[in-house]
Amino acid sequence: MSDQNYYIPHGTYWPVIGSIGISTTFVGLANLMHDVSWGAPVMGLGLTILIFMLFGWLGTVVNESISGIYNKQVDRTFRWGMSWFIFSEVMFFAAFFGALFYARILSVPWLGGADNNIFTPELWEGFKATWPLINTPGAIGQSGTAFSTNFKLVDAWGLPAINTALLLSSGVTITYAHHALRKGHRNALITWMIATIALGVLFLGFQITEYGHAYHDGLKLTSGIYGSTFYLLTGFHGFHVTVGAIMLTVILYRIQKGHFNSENHFAFEGVAWYWHFVDVVWLGLFVFVYWI
Amino acid sequence: MDIIVIVIIIVILFSLGSALVGMLRGGKKGSDKMFKSLRVRISLSVFLFVLLMFASFMGWIEPNNVLPTQ
Repeated sequence: MSDQNYYIPHGTYWPVIGSIGISTTFVGLANLMHDVSWGAPVMGLGLTILIFMLFGWLGTVVNESISGIYNKQVDRTFRWGMSWFIFSEVMFFAAFFGALFYARILSVPWLGGADNNIFTPELWEGFKATWPLINTPGAIGQSGTAFSTNFKLVDAWGLPAINTALLLSSGVTITYAHHALRKGHRNALITWMIATIALGVLFLGFQITEYGHAYHDGLKLTSGIYGSTFYLLTGFHGFHVTVGAIMLTVILYRIQKGHFNSENHFAFEGVAWYWHFVDVVWLGLFVFVYWI
Repeated sequence: MDIIVIVIIIVILFSLGSALVGMLRGGKKGSDKMFKSLRVRISLSVFLFVLLMFASFMGWIEPNNVLPTQ
């Protein structure tokens, strides 16, 4: 392609297949929620079509990239595309961290009568503003205005710390993988990539165990503002680790196929940054949920 | 202690952002900037984790992790 200013994509059927996949998934999901017997299989079919579309569409892009038809303008659009995706992710987690900080710093103290809400203690007699608040007064699904601030401290050096160590180690291994790629050390790159994926999967395993313990001990999604923010933040983070591990696996496959060299490896850079981002989100969670 | 932890987190966020700028810029320069920033970010993160362990051991900071008792 000689023109460096424009890129005109060729005709493709993948967007249509993607639309069919998304529609089928949601028709299935809606009926599943209404306990219709064919809801689950239809949703499964929709997800299968979506996965098929992802492999097909992204596979086409990969093949076009390695055949060398992309120019600098296309490279720039990939970088901008990734940046906007990252921006939306940052905003997503900023909203949940914002909810956590709002609850801790503003709304819970207000419930306890801070600032100008001096009548709140009259409404919720005996209520003391404490964090973590695991039983919000007057919450839906709870009997009357009953509330409790009974909780026990759990050793933060248990599973949460092990998980932090695991994820930070995966941050170290991906940095070594990045270094190996830039130096052209293929075997080291593959080894460090496998180590990163293994650490990510191990993290997910421990996180499921942690959920099991917490749920068994009574900390649920309905356990006040603390339970809600805890499960939303850690749950969505776990989902992102899952997506990141899948992306790393795809990159590992592409490394083995010889798609990257020491100078041209944007796909690796994008995924590596994403993994570092997910790592930083967990560090923020570990610090603000478990410590500060 | 809390302030020190928060300052380190802000520097970590800054280096992660700097890596993003490097990735967006691309080319040899951008790629170098990205790698160096990511190296700073992981080094600081590991340092923060070790600092928390040490601070907790010394009793400078108390954990927040809870479960209901009833």
